[in-house]
Amino acid sequence: MTELESCDSCALNNSAQLLKLGINVENADYVIALAGNPNTGKSTVFNALTGLKQHTGNWPGKTVTRAEGGYRFKDHKMKLIDLPGTYSLLSTSQDEEIARNFILFGKPDVTIIIVDAARIERNLNLVLQILEITDRAVLCLNLMDEALRHHIDIDERTLGKELGIPVVKCSAIKKQGISELISTVHQVAMRQIICKPYRIKGLSKPAQKMVDKLDKKIRKNYPGLPNSRWIAMRLLDADADIIKALKNGDFINH
Amino acid sequence: MTLHLNLEKLFASLPTLFNKGYVFLFFTALLIVFFILKKYQYLLRSLLPFKYIEKSITEDLLKQLYHITSGQKITDFRMLSRALKIPERKILKVFESMTQNGLIYISDGHITLTKTGKNYALSIIRIHRLWEKYLSEKTGFDKSLWHDLAEAKEHQLSKEETEALYEELGRPRFDPHGDPIPTALGEMISEMGTSIVGIPKGTVAKIIHIEDEPKSIYRKIIKEKLHVGAHVKILTSDDHHIIFESEGHSIQLSTIVASNIQVVLLNSQEAYEEGKVRLSSLIEGEHATILGISSECRGANRRRLLDLGFIKGTLLTIEYMGPNQNPRAYRLRNTLIALRNDQADFILIEKTQYDRTRIL
Amino acid sequence: MENKDIQDLLDLASELRWEVGENFHDTLVEGIYADAAHIAQKTEIKIGEPNPYNFERKLDQVLTSKKYGFPIMILILSIILWLTIQGANYPSGLLASFFLEFLHPILKTGASQVGLPWWLDGFLIDGVYLALGWVISVMLPPMAIFFPMFTLLEDFGYLPRVAFNLDSLFKKSGAHGKQALTMSMGWGCNAAGVVATRIIDSPRERLIAIITNNFSLCNGRWPTQILIATIFIGALVPDSFSTILASIAVINIALLGIGFTFLSSWMLSKTLLKGEVSTFALELPPYRPPNLWTTLYTSLIDRTLIVLWRAMVFAAPAGAIIWLISNIYVDNLSLANITIDWMDGFGLFFGLNGVILLAYVVAIPANEIVIPTILMLTVAHLNLMGAGDGVMFELESTTETAALLHAGGWTLLTGINLMLFSLLHNPCSTTIYTIYQETKSWKWTAFASIMPVILGFLVTFLVTQIWQLFH
Ligand SMILES: Nc1nc2c(ncn2[C@@H]2O[C@H](COP(=O)(O)OP(=O)(O)OP(=O)(O)O)[C@@H](O)[C@H]2O)c(=O)[nH]1
Ligand SMILES: [Mg+2]
Repeated sequence: MTELESCDSCALNNSAQLLKLGINVENADYVIALAGNPNTGKSTVFNALTGLKQHTGNWPGKTVTRAEGGYRFKDHKMKLIDLPGTYSLLSTSQDEEIARNFILFGKPDVTIIIVDAARIERNLNLVLQILEITDRAVLCLNLMDEALRHHIDIDERTLGKELGIPVVKCSAIKKQGISELISTVHQVAMRQIICKPYRIKGLSKPAQKMVDKLDKKIRKNYPGLPNSRWIAMRLLDADADIIKALKNGDFINH
Repeated sequence: MTLHLNLEKLFASLPTLFNKGYVFLFFTALLIVFFILKKYQYLLRSLLPFKYIEKSITEDLLKQLYHITSGQKITDFRMLSRALKIPERKILKVFESMTQNGLIYISDGHITLTKTGKNYALSIIRIHRLWEKYLSEKTGFDKSLWHDLAEAKEHQLSKEETEALYEELGRPRFDPHGDPIPTALGEMISEMGTSIVGIPKGTVAKIIHIEDEPKSIYRKIIKEKLHVGAHVKILTSDDHHIIFESEGHSIQLSTIVASNIQVVLLNSQEAYEEGKVRLSSLIEGEHATILGISSECRGANRRRLLDLGFIKGTLLTIEYMGPNQNPRAYRLRNTLIALRNDQADFILIEKTQYDRTRIL
Repeated sequence: MENKDIQDLLDLASELRWEVGENFHDTLVEGIYADAAHIAQKTEIKIGEPNPYNFERKLDQVLTSKKYGFPIMILILSIILWLTIQGANYPSGLLASFFLEFLHPILKTGASQVGLPWWLDGFLIDGVYLALGWVISVMLPPMAIFFPMFTLLEDFGYLPRVAFNLDSLFKKSGAHGKQALTMSMGWGCNAAGVVATRIIDSPRERLIAIITNNFSLCNGRWPTQILIATIFIGALVPDSFSTILASIAVINIALLGIGFTFLSSWMLSKTLLKGEVSTFALELPPYRPPNLWTTLYTSLIDRTLIVLWRAMVFAAPAGAIIWLISNIYVDNLSLANITIDWMDGFGLFFGLNGVILLAYVVAIPANEIVIPTILMLTVAHLNLMGAGDGVMFELESTTETAALLHAGGWTLLTGINLMLFSLLHNPCSTTIYTIYQETKSWKWTAFASIMPVILGFLVTFLVTQIWQLFH
């Protein structure tokens, strides 16, 4: 708890102000996105970090717009983006599209993926998709209190090793694990922790072959693109938004 | 101030004017007018000035001629007039200008499409089928409406819009009824199965095409929730009826209805799944394994179900049925998901014996 | 990046897409889930016996049962409303006497000592200040009770069950089950309800949800309902039953609103918005013990105050306008009086009156100020005023308010029709703007604004006609 407290005294929460800035992130040192399935406690974590009062509620779809707030940690100003919950990045309703577009094109410095610890399998569906896109992420195993109440625990070391990103256990509503989350995010932002994100392996052989073929072509055209494999998968799936983004050149300076 | 006095008088006299009976008479009349308009909607089209409807009549005629000439070569004005709901004299007028424009030519009493006419017809068919594909993938319109919506749209899309649509849909080859979509150059793949009528008893096959016209027959077919891609197993058939099994339901159709369903035999990699039933048939206390989502369920709906975890091999159980048995709540991967029955119809399962806790 | 290269890439993609076949999406999701299952299996530790969720399951089976599902929903709503009505009464009176009886005279004296001109004094203190004072005393207490209770239910996880229960009705009216969620958000604020419709993925059903959100009584309208129900309906029975009868009346209006939501959803999906089949896939979250203090704190400090702030921002200019029209004279009659007389004939036709209609025009910016406007206009109209006209008159007790309204020619019919019209009229300006923001269509915004008014006139007209059959 020390870091959090020390920052409480150095006016951690003062910088927090709900501003709709668009993608204007100039005055913050790092931009941190909060992503995850609906109703996993993203807004609760957001409130705990920024001192703001984003509405929370126990049903999926409470947050439907993007909210921004900030906090300061070790002389760095972090801008935190609370996003609507989404079940996947494979595109659906309007609230989910906001989340997906920010994760894809908003280029956050770190993505905090909030996961419901009691429903990890369904949540991992989204986690694995996000990890195809970004190589800087922190997994926040939230709702630990509820999971334990339901006799479920998670081996976070193994999980961290499997996914190649740091994992932090939290109970956001009780403010447990928040300080560890803050410092882990900071380390990832400062590149003191280097992530080696998991890549999807479960595709069938023929599908895998097609993805590789297209991936190769994309990398030839856009050398150095970190998420070329994801783009290949989306192109094969005829994702209209990705095709449009490609035409507009949204991927070039990633 | 005089204005204000007069109005007041008028308002004061209104209640007596609108004495009890009149109010109801007025609403009944409104209702009747509404229904009359609704019933004779199509007549409104022929009331429009000719120049506005010439294009769409031309295109409708081209399509009709395309389909007829690829079958038998009889062009009967009265039949066309009835099919398109346009007076014969207008058809004559359109035919005259079509001849002038080189879309059709007349030889020994038959009207035949020229090369240009044929390409034009194919381009209209292309828009029609692409739009049906669009409706099935990107919107939730009921499939009984696809045809009519596409029928209206085919006259509206420009060439550029059509190509943009084609790209957006990922360059599809078949429409949702299983019909091939002509390419921009006017080529069309033909993959035709055989009618389900006349297939021997005990055969297993896959539906590849369901004709969407006439509408009365199409409605009967989709009422049974039959769809392109569904497996069928013929149980019995005679001259009047055919009984077959599909997705755990036994379905009886008259020969005339069934003859609009085209099937092919299953290939070596596809196995007919015996115990396959729809999720909607699961009742409280039962457990099941998901076998897949029917190919009927497309677009956003299908993606939503997949995202929620209705994946091949998933174990699930029904948690409770709700006040009206619809929607119902299912538990899978330790999550509780409510689904309406008509969505659960798309999810194919095999009932299994499991310990409840394995799903948690 | 050359355009040609991109085209090449897209061409290769479509070529490969034809090769992998139509089901690539399925393959992809199945692949991801296979990995997810693998990882989950490795890392999930089951402690002892797995929890079979027996308690939650039992609770759900009751809350969603055929027999108890609907009665429980209505019961919960009734309890919340009853507590709100009962609990808000006393603090409302306190606040009113503080702002209007205690502080108002002091301000007036202060103003005359400073030497403010009469018109500025009237405009600021009798107009703006009294409007603000009224809004605070009437709105703060019910909201401070209603919101926390509602939030507790929300945090517990009851709302998704309501959506689950109501879905079959929404399905019948061609709408989406999640509309139940946006409807309950509308009970707080219609603008918030309209934004919440983003959770509905089909555009058609979303539009239905947006248009019908206005049938959810928002917090600006609850006080109107409560006050009028107490005066005209509660007064029909002895004192000890009046709160209960008044609550029942308000609940019926709320339920009528739900009824209109279904009816207009149904009509829309049969006419203007017909076509697309609706779907419903909703995750039902586990019940979670609500965090009492956080909830109280957030809904009081944040929700209540923000809504109140908005109300005040709109109430101030409205108070000023009322003061102005009551003090501008044409032919010896104030502008307000001319308009009221002019609208009276029209109003009586619908069992309303000119005062109510004018109040609804003035209150387009915010529903919260309808009642104070009505009272003030009644006073001005009857020439009961001693002091400068145009004060948002506050009467400390409901009995006095009742006496005033009766003097203004109000009957039980007027009361009932006002309650109906308060449910069925145009959305407030913020909501209208939000509707435009969300739909980006003037056409639908206009429709959503005008349709409820027409419905309101239709319903009050029919009620008046039927009433007159028996009287
Ligand atoms: N017991 C417990 N409850 C929590 C915890 N974190 C959040 N909650 C509750 O979970 C519910 C959902 O929290 P939100 O923060 O609204 O979730 P969200 O991820 O923002 O949800 P969406 O905006 O709908 O995507 C709320 O009722 C919270 O009070 C936790 O650590 N423990
Ligand atoms: Mg949220």
